[in-house]
Amino acid sequence: MATLTDVIDRPSGESGLWSWITTVDHKRIGVLYGVTAFIFLLLGGIEAGIIRLQLSVPDSTLVSADTFNQMFTMHGTTMIFLVIMPLSASFFNFVIPLAIGARDVAFPRLNAFSYWVFLFGGLLLNASFLTNQAPDAGWFSYANLTEKPFSANQGLDYWALGLQVLGVSSLAAAFNFIVTIVNMRAPGMSLMRMPLFVWMTLVTSILLVLAFPVITVGLIELTFDRNFGTNFFVPEGGGDPILWQHLFWVFGHPEVYILILPAMGIVSEVLPTFSRKPLFGYPVVVFSGVVIGIMGWAVWSHHMFTVGLGPVAVTVFMITTMLIAVPTGVKIFNWIGTLWGGQIDLKTAMLFALGFVALFIVGGLSGVSHAVAPSDNQQQDTYYIVAHIHYVLFGGALFGIFAGVYYWFPKLTGKLFHEGLGKLHFWLYFIGMNVTFFPMHYLGLNGMPRRIYTYASEFGWDGLNLLASLGYLVLFVGTLIFMVNILISLRKEPDAGHDPWDAPGLEWSIASPPPSYNFAKIPEVEGLDHYWIVKRRAAAEGRPVTEPEAYVDPSTIHMPDPSYWPLVTAIGVLVLAAGMLFDTGWDYIRFPIPFIGGIICFIGIIAWANEPPAKEHAGGDHHAEDGHGMAHHPATATAAVMERPAGAAGVTVRLLCSNCGNQLSSSFRFCPYCGGAVESPADPDHQEG
Amino acid sequence: MGLLPFRGADSQTLRAGDEKGKTTLMSKRFTITRKPLLLLGISAILLLVMACAPDAKQSTFGTSGPVAEQQLLLFNVLLWVMIVVFVLVEGVLLYAIIKFRRRPGQDELPPQTHGHTALEITWTIVPTILILGLGIWSAITLFNLDQPPAGADALEITAVGHQWWWEFEYPDADGNGKYISTANELKVPVDRAVRVNLRSDDVIHSFWIPKLAGKIDMVPTRENYMWFQADETGTFYGQCAEFCGTAHAQMKFLVQVLPQEDYLDWAERFGETPVLSAQAQAGQSVFNGTGGCLVCHTATGSDDPAVVDSRMQSFLTTETGIAPGPNLTDLATRERFGAGLVDMNRQNLRQWIRNPEDVKPGNHMSGRAAIYQTSDGRANLSETEITSLLEYLLSLK
Repeated sequence: MATLTDVIDRPSGESGLWSWITTVDHKRIGVLYGVTAFIFLLLGGIEAGIIRLQLSVPDSTLVSADTFNQMFTMHGTTMIFLVIMPLSASFFNFVIPLAIGARDVAFPRLNAFSYWVFLFGGLLLNASFLTNQAPDAGWFSYANLTEKPFSANQGLDYWALGLQVLGVSSLAAAFNFIVTIVNMRAPGMSLMRMPLFVWMTLVTSILLVLAFPVITVGLIELTFDRNFGTNFFVPEGGGDPILWQHLFWVFGHPEVYILILPAMGIVSEVLPTFSRKPLFGYPVVVFSGVVIGIMGWAVWSHHMFTVGLGPVAVTVFMITTMLIAVPTGVKIFNWIGTLWGGQIDLKTAMLFALGFVALFIVGGLSGVSHAVAPSDNQQQDTYYIVAHIHYVLFGGALFGIFAGVYYWFPKLTGKLFHEGLGKLHFWLYFIGMNVTFFPMHYLGLNGMPRRIYTYASEFGWDGLNLLASLGYLVLFVGTLIFMVNILISLRKEPDAGHDPWDAPGLEWSIASPPPSYNFAKIPEVEGLDHYWIVKRRAAAEGRPVTEPEAYVDPSTIHMPDPSYWPLVTAIGVLVLAAGMLFDTGWDYIRFPIPFIGGIICFIGIIAWANEPPAKEHAGGDHHAEDGHGMAHHPATATAAVMERPAGAAGVTVRLLCSNCGNQLSSSFRFCPYCGGAVESPADPDHQEG
Repeated sequence: MGLLPFRGADSQTLRAGDEKGKTTLMSKRFTITRKPLLLLGISAILLLVMACAPDAKQSTFGTSGPVAEQQLLLFNVLLWVMIVVFVLVEGVLLYAIIKFRRRPGQDELPPQTHGHTALEITWTIVPTILILGLGIWSAITLFNLDQPPAGADALEITAVGHQWWWEFEYPDADGNGKYISTANELKVPVDRAVRVNLRSDDVIHSFWIPKLAGKIDMVPTRENYMWFQADETGTFYGQCAEFCGTAHAQMKFLVQVLPQEDYLDWAERFGETPVLSAQAQAGQSVFNGTGGCLVCHTATGSDDPAVVDSRMQSFLTTETGIAPGPNLTDLATRERFGAGLVDMNRQNLRQWIRNPEDVKPGNHMSGRAAIYQTSDGRANLSETEITSLLEYLLSLK
């Protein structure tokens, strides 16, 4: 393959379409994630609109039963896997390296690969609409309704393969962020000095790594049942559909925390900033987040209280589920403690964060009411549950994410959102959300089951359904306002400055938008809320910090070059998965296309591993004598060069890999760019973190 | 009812209203006087009560019988706990937002508190105790509701879920060992515990009669059960609660709670040979002959389990073969047909026989019965045949 990478030059452009396609810059990948996920949000929102329109009046014939079933299946799947998870990933990408004082994530090309695989997974899932075979068994796709006798078309194959592809993306991203957070923090940033959002990203990533293999197993079994005649979930063949439920919820419940913990992290950043005081009970909030992450593994069967597990098993899961309310409550109390005695500035980001807290309380409380199994027997699979999940996922996760959008948008673009439109957006969402979802509590308790495409007027559900549908319109307008706000704000001149909120995080000490290298000098972190410490010490000394870190010539800082190979490998993954949809029906080669995908993957990975730096970087630099420098002789790259430029705020240590020249955090044992081992610097002052 | 009072109905929006009041303080641009707010509050409480609608046909608030009552009691206690916690926490939150807003000219930093150990311990311990208390009580209720009370002479019924209708079997309907199998309308005596064994032959369904008892799933690989007892006579409404495919929304059933003697009377008379007019006899030969109805439906007494099994095998192993159909014995005595879907009358039944797809999209009769494999899905029967078939079906009583 070396020949291939010799023939095709490594891309190096920094503008234009190709620069986005080949980018490995975490900030650009964050934008790609965010924009893609927002488009999927609109798609999922349209699906929700069709659901609400159909249900707004009894006996509606707007769409057929099958179309309706496709809509709620795709709405749920889209919102969870293609909207909230990637929107969180968008924040991981954009914020994490900035918040820990790194120049990029640990594996920049793997990061690009994650994005492309996510995009292709989303497209594969939605391609089912083009063949009119959208999956229609619900986002949970309970066996054995998903087996061939009951789902003859390929909808469930699209679903299972799409989720497999998305799983590859999530796993790659999760490993990337775990390694990034563990290894690449700036000197001085010990674990207990990490911003809450970084903590929650770490917990979320660990949950992802542990949870996704479980659903992967389930999806493989489902695919095999449907295509190769196995009987994992087929009762007549000795299989058990309940096995699917266990596999799905052992993944699915941690998944709930995968969706909500990043939002909790964002809120824990926004509340202190706009209260002008540090997070109340930081160690307790961190610990409760970790406890939620652990306890999240012991509650999955509360989704299965009506399955007939027997009273002993149900009692165990009932008690564990109720107890998970404790750490969640502790978080809420600490957020209120953060507000208490502060100076609250109700900027849009803050409104969304407060909205998160207010609405999450409702979702949390209704959650307790169906943690209690006898009470849940009446609520399970009704609109009461629909109300609950939307309070935690819309009022919770999505409000948290919007808080993050308004909070970090100025850092991303250098421009401030229009505050008036932002507040209008918030109030439309807050009111629309409550008008849409609060009546669903009553609908559920009045006996309306979930996932019904029609209902008769005799059951008395019409008024509240119409109300809920009107609420949808308010949310729809709110979303339009948000889009208008983005367009208006992007056309403005940069007006944000580098630190518009007087925020505590490292990311606010550099220019907005951040230069490609993020930090010219890797900061030495002095404590939790590092930038507040710096600014307040400066203010105490009578020299307020108003300037971001000065720009330096980017060519003096070695950054990873763009690359084609993550995209090529991702295309291979897509072909591999989508190829499973084409059954030739021949006895010997039923599925030839996945092999082609595998070959593309193989080429991509080999070329990826052997890729030289871009031509202009391969020249006279100290790190690439033969033009292939990065990975050719990792075994010889043993020594790290240490530079000590004297700065005003003390001595900053910069470690450079002697093989590839990349800048490293002092905690590295090996260079993440070229794989060379790094010798620890001898200076004991800089061993922390 | 208009939009505004309904918005009041949800206490969330009411709070949104309060917060709007708070924006008033902030921006001084909008003013909300107290009077509309008060009105909104009153209408909210009124509608809160009304929205509970215990009279609605599937309301979990209008309970009858010990199972649903105890489940509701637990929920009501939880509800009040939730309301108290909600008001307290949201109240403190709202108070903090209003009280600690940054005023113009506030340049000094607020006190930089980092935490409070005693508080942290308190708000960890107190909810834990509260939750464990509720948890223990819930567990006791759970075990209590698991089986009918000891000594109760429970009526045993087996309910089988099908796509998309219900089969009900009484192994001993009248106390003398009479076996009855029927469909979609469950007849039970009042004031007597009923133990329902729950089975499914195809996919997972969930058996739910909101006013009588919470749901339990019907899983093909499990022997589930639940029990209920109705304290009053009348019709109760049940519905499948687990998504089970195309016509899930239309998989409903009725429970008719009869006085003890009426129930026994029904059980004894079930399956008696109906009196057939000449036209009905012509209809019977359509049913057994050209219509081919009897391949899937039994209309003369209970189903033979072996016949049901062979229908099920055909359903599971072929895409167009026959499927099990509801037992039609005593069809004319039922209040509704099509799995609790439409009222039993000549007009509805005619429409159903002509083209079931119009009434219940996705049903397996349209999909599989030979007479409906036509270009427009209408029955391949003459109007005369349909009329006599109708006459026959309406004589089944």
